[in-house]
Amino acid sequence: MRNIFNYTLIASTIRLSTPLILAALGGLYSERAGVINIALEGMMLAGAFTAAVVTVFTHNPWIGLLSAVAAGLLVAALHAMATIKYRADQVVSGTAINILFLGVPALLSGALFESTGATPQLPRDQTLPDAPIFNPQTSPALASIFNQKPLVYLAFILVAMTVYVIYRTRFGLRLRAVGENPEAADTAGVGVNRMRYAGVLISGALAALGGAYLSIGQNSLFTRNMTAGRGFIALAALIFGKWHPVGAMLACLFFGLAEAVAIRMQGTVNIPNQFIQMIPYILTMVVLAGLIGRATPPKALGVAYAKE
Amino acid sequence: MKTGALILLVCLSLFPGGCATRDFAAEAEGAKTKVGIVFDIGGKDDRSFNAAANSGVLRAKKDLPIILRDVEPGDPTSIEPAVRAFAQYGYNLITGVGFAQGPILTEVAKDYPQLHFVLIDAVADSPNVASLLFKEHEGSFLVGMIAAYTSKTGVLGFVGGMDIPLIHKFQTGYEEGARYVNPNIRVLHNYVGITDAAWNNPGKGRELANAQYEQGADVIFQAAGNSGLGVFDAAEAYNKFAIGVDANQNWVKPGHILTSMLKRIDNAVYSIVKDEVEGKFKGGVHIYGLENDGISYAIDEYNKHLIPQDVIEKVEQAKKDIIAGKIKVTDAMAK
Repeated sequence: MRNIFNYTLIASTIRLSTPLILAALGGLYSERAGVINIALEGMMLAGAFTAAVVTVFTHNPWIGLLSAVAAGLLVAALHAMATIKYRADQVVSGTAINILFLGVPALLSGALFESTGATPQLPRDQTLPDAPIFNPQTSPALASIFNQKPLVYLAFILVAMTVYVIYRTRFGLRLRAVGENPEAADTAGVGVNRMRYAGVLISGALAALGGAYLSIGQNSLFTRNMTAGRGFIALAALIFGKWHPVGAMLACLFFGLAEAVAIRMQGTVNIPNQFIQMIPYILTMVVLAGLIGRATPPKALGVAYAKE
Repeated sequence: MKTGALILLVCLSLFPGGCATRDFAAEAEGAKTKVGIVFDIGGKDDRSFNAAANSGVLRAKKDLPIILRDVEPGDPTSIEPAVRAFAQYGYNLITGVGFAQGPILTEVAKDYPQLHFVLIDAVADSPNVASLLFKEHEGSFLVGMIAAYTSKTGVLGFVGGMDIPLIHKFQTGYEEGARYVNPNIRVLHNYVGITDAAWNNPGKGRELANAQYEQGADVIFQAAGNSGLGVFDAAEAYNKFAIGVDANQNWVKPGHILTSMLKRIDNAVYSIVKDEVEGKFKGGVHIYGLENDGISYAIDEYNKHLIPQDVIEKVEQAKKDIIAGKIKVTDAMAK
């Protein structure tokens, strides 16, 4: 058991949860404003790819990170235009974006690197550095847990900020209002579609940060479809967390923990690997069905708003 | 506006198909041999398995009078249409990369008995299919020995991609090689996943490697496609070693890649294409191992300072013993 439950498990949980938390927060801004965002996966891929490519050319991961945010905003603008301006079905638009970003990186990397999806591997000093908070020689446990990428800290700070923004600011109140009852918000003089644009755009920026964490933080390259479903898990975490930032964060940490435990159980416990790899998902279903109770989405979620 | 968007969508959805049709039909002229290759999910720039197959056909294209077309399927369901499209356009030699294409090639080959097919890593029971099998366990044994001689902690790691018998072959060979050197050595092993997404998840590969290095491993052998590139990232971050697979990956993270277990898919594919061009194509099972250099390990300018000469001598001796049958390496797929 000591092979599984020790400080490296905590470190691993945090690392695995970070991209999920960033994407789930992204989903929260969009869905609280009433726009379903199953495009999180595509937005993460856009961010991951852009971050890797820009870093290859500029040799600076920070510029890569900023470009990822720009790419996320661009993709989100696409989703927002389709669903808000043209009132397209939100699920269809999101699916289209996800499919699009399976292909776009392959196309662009073909033009840039004569590859079909993968970018060249970056040297370690050109990826996002670990925060040097503790000395790994003198305190390995603390260093392993706290010496993380800056994006890890950013993710947790953003959770706190989101709680404040959503529940304590006028912007947050309006965002929730257009997600719950756009007609009433409109009557009260809130620009429904403007708020929704804001929500979706923030969503894209955050999801792209989650993607960039994968390509230039945790790893040093982009490969095709490297998010491997993390955008969908983030979406599940958002629902699991009842569209509340802290709830979503806890859900992401839970997924991260389940995966970290599964990683450590493989090979140490005499259970077939296929079963171990099911654990995170089985736990999710059990918790969703039994413990969490009903998760009520924002009332106007998925409904485009047309001013009468 | 709605109709405009609809037309756009229809065009987009037709685009890849339309494009492919034109490509397949083009250049039907001349006496050139038409070679089509359908890659595995990892894609041809995985710097590993598919990349090796790709470099084989590219070399053939340079040396031989062939027309080459390739397809990288985005998901498993698009493999069969691609193979059939090549067959419909009368491609003389159609190569399927990866075990997952076994059943597909078996079917298609029966429908097109006049065409020739190549299948890598699986056996198709049809006389017009050349099935290429590799004795990965033998090469894994040798890199397992190098790993054991290099390890200071007495703990090694193995990270596999998808949890399937083919990859177990790498694992057991590696473990046996390590134990041949040091019977008490511990070998940790992890698999990225149980679906084909496991080949394309470097984030998870990195995390598995982190966990193994933290448990004391100082050399990790990866057989995980693109996910293995995450293992290399971890090796660099922890300042430990990793071992590459299929293609020579020593260059990817110089100084941290101890060696690579080479599966010379490139040579095998090249020679089959050459046979086809010269009219000497032979169906059936072709086996590549240490004895015909189909399997080997990489020593080059990136890693020669990492492995002492006496270790290489011992490994070379073991190689001779395996070929002579004095050392028996378990083939996990034969069980």
